Amino acid sequence: MGALDGLMQGFQVAFSWEGILFVLIGVVTGTLIGMMPGLGPISAIAIMIPVTYGMNPSSALVMMAGVYYGAVFGGSTSSILLNAPGISGTVATSFDGYPMAQRGEAGKALAVAAISSFIGGTVSVVLLMLFAPALASVAISFGPPEYFALMFLGLTAISSLSDGSTVKALISATLGFMAATIGIDAQTGTNRFTFGNPNLMEGIDFLVIALGLFALAEVCFLILNRKDKSLSKQSDIGNLKLSRDDFKEMKGPMTRQSFLGFLLGVLPGAGATIASFIGYITEKRITKKPEEFGKGSIKGLSAPETANNAATSGAFVPLLSLGIPGSGTTAVMLGAFLVMGIQPGPLLVQDRPDVFWGIIASMYIGNVFLLILNLPLIPYIAKILKISRPLLISLVIIFSLIGVYSISFSTFDLYLLLAFGLLGYLMRLFSFPAAPFILAFILGGMMEQALRQALTASGGSLLVLVEDPISVGLLAVSFLSFIVPFIRKKREDNKQNQDAA
Amino acid sequence: MKKLWGLAILSLLVFTVACGEQSSGTTESDGEWKPDGNIEIVAPGGAGGGWDTTARSVGKVLEDQEIVENDVAVVNKPGGGGAVGWSYINSTNSPENIFVSSPPLIFVPLNGQSDLSYEDFTPLSNMIADYGAFAVADDAKWNNLNELFEDMKADPSSVTVVGASSPGSMDHMQFVKVAKAAGVDIQKIKYVSAQDGGALTQILNGSADVYSTGVAETIEQVKAGKIKVLGVTSEERLEGEVLSTFETAKEQGIDTTFVNWRGFFGPKDMSPEAVAYYEEKFKEVSESHAFADIRSKYGWDEMYMDSEAYKEFLKEQTEELGSLLEELGLGK
Repeated sequence: MGALDGLMQGFQVAFSWEGILFVLIGVVTGTLIGMMPGLGPISAIAIMIPVTYGMNPSSALVMMAGVYYGAVFGGSTSSILLNAPGISGTVATSFDGYPMAQRGEAGKALAVAAISSFIGGTVSVVLLMLFAPALASVAISFGPPEYFALMFLGLTAISSLSDGSTVKALISATLGFMAATIGIDAQTGTNRFTFGNPNLMEGIDFLVIALGLFALAEVCFLILNRKDKSLSKQSDIGNLKLSRDDFKEMKGPMTRQSFLGFLLGVLPGAGATIASFIGYITEKRITKKPEEFGKGSIKGLSAPETANNAATSGAFVPLLSLGIPGSGTTAVMLGAFLVMGIQPGPLLVQDRPDVFWGIIASMYIGNVFLLILNLPLIPYIAKILKISRPLLISLVIIFSLIGVYSISFSTFDLYLLLAFGLLGYLMRLFSFPAAPFILAFILGGMMEQALRQALTASGGSLLVLVEDPISVGLLAVSFLSFIVPFIRKKREDNKQNQDAA
Repeated sequence: MKKLWGLAILSLLVFTVACGEQSSGTTESDGEWKPDGNIEIVAPGGAGGGWDTTARSVGKVLEDQEIVENDVAVVNKPGGGGAVGWSYINSTNSPENIFVSSPPLIFVPLNGQSDLSYEDFTPLSNMIADYGAFAVADDAKWNNLNELFEDMKADPSSVTVVGASSPGSMDHMQFVKVAKAAGVDIQKIKYVSAQDGGALTQILNGSADVYSTGVAETIEQVKAGKIKVLGVTSEERLEGEVLSTFETAKEQGIDTTFVNWRGFFGPKDMSPEAVAYYEEKFKEVSESHAFADIRSKYGWDEMYMDSEAYKEFLKEQTEELGSLLEELGLGK
């Protein structure tokens, strides 16, 4: 059976009343859960698994897929409104989304995020439709050296994530690297910095750090500066309407990041997080006004939002066509498939074309639903900011605690969360940026593992890192992006000197 | 909007309450022991893993077949390769709280990652056996274990082995055990640990040579012609469409096996009556048709052991694996 027939069958599944109903249920549940700070797609899917017992597999999986990308879609809300990213994929969203909301443009920020998500999601589904079986080879094209190079490129973002002192950004990143080493080292099985505490053996969960450094630190800041009148503007929602200029701003990032995000999503292990960070930095590099980034730039919000949703569809490539789950979330998805008696893998497209193409076709509908549902809801969702400050602050604290507890069921993690909240507040007080910390934490762990895997396989020879054109290319881009800002700055200085003279 | 938040908070509360249930206390009447309240089965790993699947499927049979009158709740306590769940059982110390375990209960303490070992718990019943498989890319030059091990005997470092667990745990040790029996210098084996589906990716793109994993993980890829299985660690040929084509290491003249056993344990000081109760219930599960269906669905073998036999088995396993780890320099 050709891909076209399969696709037709997929659309039949997706456009049946049952298909549409379950896509709708899936995306609505997904966005609602995703909007809550602390709850991301993993919890969303895990909550839904028992609901699907006894359902027809293709409807059930269409619904689960809807929950997944719905949660990523909704995940931006808490990043923008409360600076409380619920998943690693929306950390970069808060860099410019939260400043926009603080400036009194919460409605606009949510609209930008929704439209970018929609475009990222839709373009990537089209790519998925056209190339899913063919892209399987792209998904496995990255070995440890290539992953190392990719993470290295991601880390060059540290220098561009700091507005103030580069030294402070580097210190913050170093702390992030240090936090990433805590736990049992996968390559030797040795405990590192666990101090005999079994709770630390698995390492620190990303959510603990993100909610501590961002949400709780922000809460501390708000409480201690409650008399500050300049913060009261935050409850303004602003105009939701986007002007033609705004669309012009978004056009570039949306086009580029739909493709780039999708490609990065296809790589197992990279996924939405790396896609959103790389999306953010590439746009910052390309733009003519990089100084606006981090202060509420539309481009800076649109880029990670497009990229993370595009990457989410991309993540279905290794899952559906290889049976390889590239992340914790897709691993839980894989579990859901197995419960249904469906084994994702190279044979899925032949054995169960209804499931394979049904999911892909349903994602198209799902994205349309998400946009239609979200745009009219924005004014209501943004009203969260109208909730009186003390109540809002308590809600953020409660949701952060619940979010962390629902992942590990461990009270130890709650203490850790508070500790990171305090650390985050202190960092803010002394103007150390938190973003490099979290970036180093996410990328550092993966980068270390990739480097050591590569070196074990090569018998310790560093040449393995530059043997492949992909890794050489990525490393070259990293070095360039490191050097170019210096050269540019020097040129500007020279020019200024000349002007002065 | 208020409604939305109300709903959200409500659903969260339900979720957290459902996950946080706990039972306590026991009742005893003339020699017969009965659990008081819910039976709580702890899966010391995350949702969807091997422990979780075993706990949930056994729990479902216990309830659906009305083998026990009480409700059975499965609780996930992930962390530390199982150590977090074990210390939880150790501290709650209630006969209604039991947990599922497998070879990591032996590896993790031997590696020095946990102070608790199987001796700190009461083995109740073993339920199933699963086996390891060694796979290579379909176009690899080796067609059986002997060809692979010939090359490794000549130069152990010419081959990279990849698995999901860390060195000194399951995927690593099952390979080491078979390689040692074949006469390979096990101290020179190159082993890489890769999570998040990385191990299979590395085999498919040639970054690593041999994939050490469970048999179930290989079936789909073998069917699709992406990888081939050089050997499995079971005593006899496995049954099943694809599984029956896998040669065992024994058939290839390598006289060793590796069993990924899975069974249930309770806290240390359980009364003999309570142990007898669980033995009886788990035996009933093991012999039920419902559980036979589950076994065949996941490709597990039946391997029931009562408490005494289990304890003996674990002792032997600890000695055998302990000396292997010692030789690798990983034992603590």
